Amino acid sequence: MCPEAELRVLVVDDHPIWRHSVAAGLEEAGCAVAGTAGDGAQALRVAAATRPGVVLLDLNLPDMSGAEVTRRLLAADPGVRVLILSASGERQDVLDAMTAGATGYLVKSAQFSELVAAVRSAAAGEAVFTPGLAGLVLGEYRRLAAGSGADAGLGAAGSTRAAGPGRPASSGQPRLTERETEVLRLVAKGMTYPEIAALLVLSPRTVQNHVQNTLIKLQLHNKAQLVRYALEQGIE
Amino acid sequence: MAEQMWRVVAVFRVVTLVYAAVLITRDHGDYLHPAAGWLALAVMAVWSVITIAAYSRPRGRQTWLICADVAVAAGLVLSTRLIVPASQINAGAPTIPSSWAASSVLACAVAGGPAGGLAGASVIIAADIVERQALPQGTLSNIVLVLIAGGVGGYIVQLGLRAEASADRAARLEAAIAERERIARGIHDSVLQVLALVATRGRELGGEATELARLAGEQESALRALVSGAAVPPPEGGQLDLAGLLEPLGSSRVTVSCPAGAVLLPDAPARALAAAAGEALDNVRRHAGADARAWVLVEDDGTAVTVSVRDDGLGFAEGRLAEAETAGRLGVAQSIKGRLRDAGGSACVRSSPGQGTEVELRVPRG
Repeated sequence: MCPEAELRVLVVDDHPIWRHSVAAGLEEAGCAVAGTAGDGAQALRVAAATRPGVVLLDLNLPDMSGAEVTRRLLAADPGVRVLILSASGERQDVLDAMTAGATGYLVKSAQFSELVAAVRSAAAGEAVFTPGLAGLVLGEYRRLAAGSGADAGLGAAGSTRAAGPGRPASSGQPRLTERETEVLRLVAKGMTYPEIAALLVLSPRTVQNHVQNTLIKLQLHNKAQLVRYALEQGIE
Repeated sequence: MAEQMWRVVAVFRVVTLVYAAVLITRDHGDYLHPAAGWLALAVMAVWSVITIAAYSRPRGRQTWLICADVAVAAGLVLSTRLIVPASQINAGAPTIPSSWAASSVLACAVAGGPAGGLAGASVIIAADIVERQALPQGTLSNIVLVLIAGGVGGYIVQLGLRAEASADRAARLEAAIAERERIARGIHDSVLQVLALVATRGRELGGEATELARLAGEQESALRALVSGAAVPPPEGGQLDLAGLLEPLGSSRVTVSCPAGAVLLPDAPARALAAAAGEALDNVRRHAGADARAWVLVEDDGTAVTVSVRDDGLGFAEGRLAEAETAGRLGVAQSIKGRLRDAGGSACVRSSPGQGTEVELRVPRG
């Protein structure tokens, strides 16, 4: 199922049974497992030594946040694809890791075939957009629109009470186009790209581009925020 | 707290005993019977030892002993008439036990609160008035002091005990919560992972393992809801987090998608939305077919909160719902619409055969 001969996966999870079983399953499916790691520091070391194509990253690590591991993995190797695998109920952590540059997000209860498919998509550089991720991204754009300039900060969990539909977002905030909003909502409601394409009379490729754009805009915004923060703090 | 108060009573008793001894030593030359003065002092000393020893243990704090304590103090106050010349009493000489008598009042206050303290104080005051046979200014202020010692002292003890009890409860609650969180973490790290694994791998194996996988998956989401439910924070300022209410509805067939942050709503609309979404999902299980999957999307655009429940099941023709309504069969749709109307919102149902059904629940922000 993983025909790319050079596709190698690093499995990071603090739970050994899960880690080994996923690694064994991936190898069965034809993917090479570059290594496994039980915490963030180990993940960074193994990644530096083995240069995996995809890192399958659990968010619940004992030593650092998923966003932190993602940022450091990408800083060391911008080509690596980070796929977040998390239990439910860690929404803010998932969003933080995604805006830090992760390629996709799957829940741990996903079917194994979905996992393998996600690893392959991630390796190909395609965002792995589950309905849960679409819901998070929609919510984040609305939070940014509501924050309107006075950004509540990275990873802040603010509710979007003050927003009005006619209120313009400040120039620096990323915004969704109407089409992007429409597509994201359909993804969040469980529709597949071909189904959405048929409904909106678009090509599946266009649907995928729309979806991917929404994430890229958030990641760029996040990066710009970090740079701005660093400049303000006099860090160079 | 109570232990400290009993120690305070003991210290007070010793200090006042020393004071009484000083007064008796100074004045015994003028007494009618100097030996009686020494005898009274000896009684006070012995009684002090007995009560301090008895009150130091909870078992020794018997009501009868405390009553006897007050009686002894009152008796000594009364004995002043027999020992000190009337002329000196009338001139305002202190009673034989002087302030020592108040230690029994304090004992009453510590044991019985303000009521006990006041009762003890009344007995001592009565003895004092009988002994004086008058109510000169000095005695009056002594009376006030004894009343304050009994009433206020008892009140303070009661307050202290209550504060201690509530601090105790808080500490126990905190320990219980910490323990629950520890267990939740443990379950999260072990049992849930294994159940998720069984669910995932079982489905891959197929055959009989599929059923096992389904069971494991259901138990995983039930257990996850249970342990995460234990950590749900209390409503903030009368508001509930809708995302927190809806997430437990997720399962192997149901995906719940929410914004990252809390979706806060007042209690009633939050519960109405959660209950309506739960009903819509029940409906999916019953009518959309065994293989149907469902997706719940929570959106908050600042002016309204929208919950969409979509399934990929059989669906139904547009007219059928209206048909059922006019035929007077109050279906689930009716009940969902009613809930939302009551909460000041609205619900709409869309479906077509083979395309699944979507229920959209909407509550405006007030």
